[in-house]
Amino acid sequence: MNPVIAVHNLVKTYHVGEISVHALRGVSLEIDSAEFVTIVGASGSGKSTLMHILGCLDQPTSGQYLLNGKNVSGLTDDELSYIRNREIGFVFQGFNLLARTSALENVELPLLYGGSHVSARERRERAMAALSAVGLEDRADHHPNQLSGGQQQRVAIARALLNNPSILMADEPTGNLDSRTSVEVMDIFQSLREERNITIVLITHEQTVAEYGSRILTIKDGNIVSDHPNEARLARFEIATAPLAEGRAAS
Amino acid sequence: MNLESCFRVAVKALAKNKLQTVLTIMGMMIGVATVLTMIAVGSGAQTAIQDQVKAAGMNLIFITAGNYKVKTDDDGSAIEENARLTTPGKGKRLFRPAVWRTSDRPHFVLAFHAEDDPMEKHDHPTAAQRLGDSEAGLGAAATLLRADADAIRKLRGVQYVSEGVHENAHVSSGSERWFTRLHGDDVSLPSIRRAWKFEFGRFYSKTEERDAEQVIVLGSVVAQKLFGEKNPVGQSVAIWKQNWTVVGVVTSGSWITPPAAGDDQFDAVYVPFTTVHRLLNLSKLNDITVTAASTGDVTRLTKAITELLRQRHKITANKADDFTITTQARQALAKGGMRPEVARSVVGNVSGLEKVTLEQLGKTLDRASSTMTALLASIAAVSLLVGGIGIMNIMLLSVTERTKEIGIRRAVGARSRDVLLQFLMEATTLSVLGGVLGILLGFFVALSISRWAVWSASISPLSVIVSFTVAAAIGIFFGYYPARQASEVAPIESLRYE
Repeated sequence: MNPVIAVHNLVKTYHVGEISVHALRGVSLEIDSAEFVTIVGASGSGKSTLMHILGCLDQPTSGQYLLNGKNVSGLTDDELSYIRNREIGFVFQGFNLLARTSALENVELPLLYGGSHVSARERRERAMAALSAVGLEDRADHHPNQLSGGQQQRVAIARALLNNPSILMADEPTGNLDSRTSVEVMDIFQSLREERNITIVLITHEQTVAEYGSRILTIKDGNIVSDHPNEARLARFEIATAPLAEGRAAS
Repeated sequence: MNLESCFRVAVKALAKNKLQTVLTIMGMMIGVATVLTMIAVGSGAQTAIQDQVKAAGMNLIFITAGNYKVKTDDDGSAIEENARLTTPGKGKRLFRPAVWRTSDRPHFVLAFHAEDDPMEKHDHPTAAQRLGDSEAGLGAAATLLRADADAIRKLRGVQYVSEGVHENAHVSSGSERWFTRLHGDDVSLPSIRRAWKFEFGRFYSKTEERDAEQVIVLGSVVAQKLFGEKNPVGQSVAIWKQNWTVVGVVTSGSWITPPAAGDDQFDAVYVPFTTVHRLLNLSKLNDITVTAASTGDVTRLTKAITELLRQRHKITANKADDFTITTQARQALAKGGMRPEVARSVVGNVSGLEKVTLEQLGKTLDRASSTMTALLASIAAVSLLVGGIGIMNIMLLSVTERTKEIGIRRAVGARSRDVLLQFLMEATTLSVLGGVLGILLGFFVALSISRWAVWSASISPLSVIVSFTVAAAIGIFFGYYPARQASEVAPIESLRYE
């Protein structure tokens, strides 16, 4: 099976005036479908840069990136926009919801783009369904400032999932949340992976959060220093998805 | 992203910053309204001048019986004598006929006679006295016939022809009496006098003219004197001990001064010339008024009429005409209801005015008012420019303020052109909304100006279309740069922006 994400020797160098900052120094990595990869690293380790490149928000200085077997490095801005719209869902630390805009309209946002001519009614229905999935159907008309952090992050998750992307990217999703809501949000990720078979790449600096992943990567100074499966979680995942896997094999 | 949802997003975004939006729209609105109002006032003045020039008879040709143009061998003493005969006890005349020879008796001509001078009092013998002699009012030079008029009607390039017989008459209704001019004319007269407006009723009809009925149209001054503010249509007035039924009251359609006593067009009464012929047992005409279908054709038509009449009157090559054709500026200036100060300044400033045709005069005035309109519009355009800069300013501010929003949209799949389109749409919405409101405001202001300042203001569909298009174009023009800025922000940069 082809990996969903395959990067080879990824380098990213920022130039700030005279100084060159080497955010990534040749990262190679493969992520398979339905993996839940957590990337752990200290602040400034290059983990966010990696995620932005993986999420097609940024371009590497050099190196190759194959997304679903397609070389992303050579794509135009419009094509990258399309991939962000259809293939990837984002969840950010700061939620990144549009201010003074209802939760429903925030969730609808991806349907405005990507060349899909979705009627206003269908947009509404789909956004409503996505909100219900994260348990916020009764908060549809609330603006972000009327929602708690956990609720805002759930709205962001609903938005990220609206176009049924194959990959969900989360950049410190619990960074602005207290420990109780962090658990809530992480449980959502967990169940998403179990129910939808979605590939998740999650960045964090907290070890407890990283433990949710089926595979944990550690990044330091722009290099991956460790990469190992998370046995405990993996076992649980195997049990949970066994009937599903069997069903698929049978069909 | 299709245009409709783009528009929705733009409206929502604008609605979030209501005060900013309203102020920006106001800037645009005032710009558009100013342009529209200025053009309206400018072209209103232009239209008014054109109307006046037309009303003054840019394409009018007057043919009067008798020859006033032939130079005599005399030094002019005979003229003075004749002039004195014409208007006893009067000294200098502003508008005196040139030289005449064919008539040995003075007679009354609409265009030149002192009786038409508004400054004069009517203190000469009354029509009734003069009517002792049925030919008295026409003089010996009554050389024009109905048949001449009919022949002129058949000429190419002729628009309207009106036969004219003119008398002075006492018009009375009950105890009210008023001494005024009585004009016997053809039914086409209102078409010739384009600045006419019917206050009440109508002009007499073709049938009434054919049957020589005793119907009368009162000038507004006469109607005022005899009937006050009441509608006199259907009432009867007496002239020459005959009863006439009033069918209409005519007044000036011009925006200039309202007609007053002595006004040559509205201190007058109009009756079918056939009726005058019948009652006074006449067959000759004082004059014939002709309009050329096109103003450029006046000179040719004048020649054609001269030839026609000479031929009809059997005038041999070396003999003088027994009629006078005039189309000159001075006559029309004095008679056409042009604003006195305009007429005076034109008379004072143009040398050889007699040679200046109204056509030329009209063009000059037209040019002057076009220049004025252009000047007003260009001043107004500055305010439109300011409105446009306002839009640009607010959009640039908006792009900076909403960098984060741009990043979020880019992250969920907006292409850079979607962002461009969104900001362009916002700018265009601002300017178009400002444009529409500006057009409404412009209409209101122009209307108020024409109502309260009694200036003529005309809003043409073209000026509305142009203002609207310019407004939209300004929105796109001034919105493009900020929108471009917005679209060029790298997604990750804008996401990081706090």
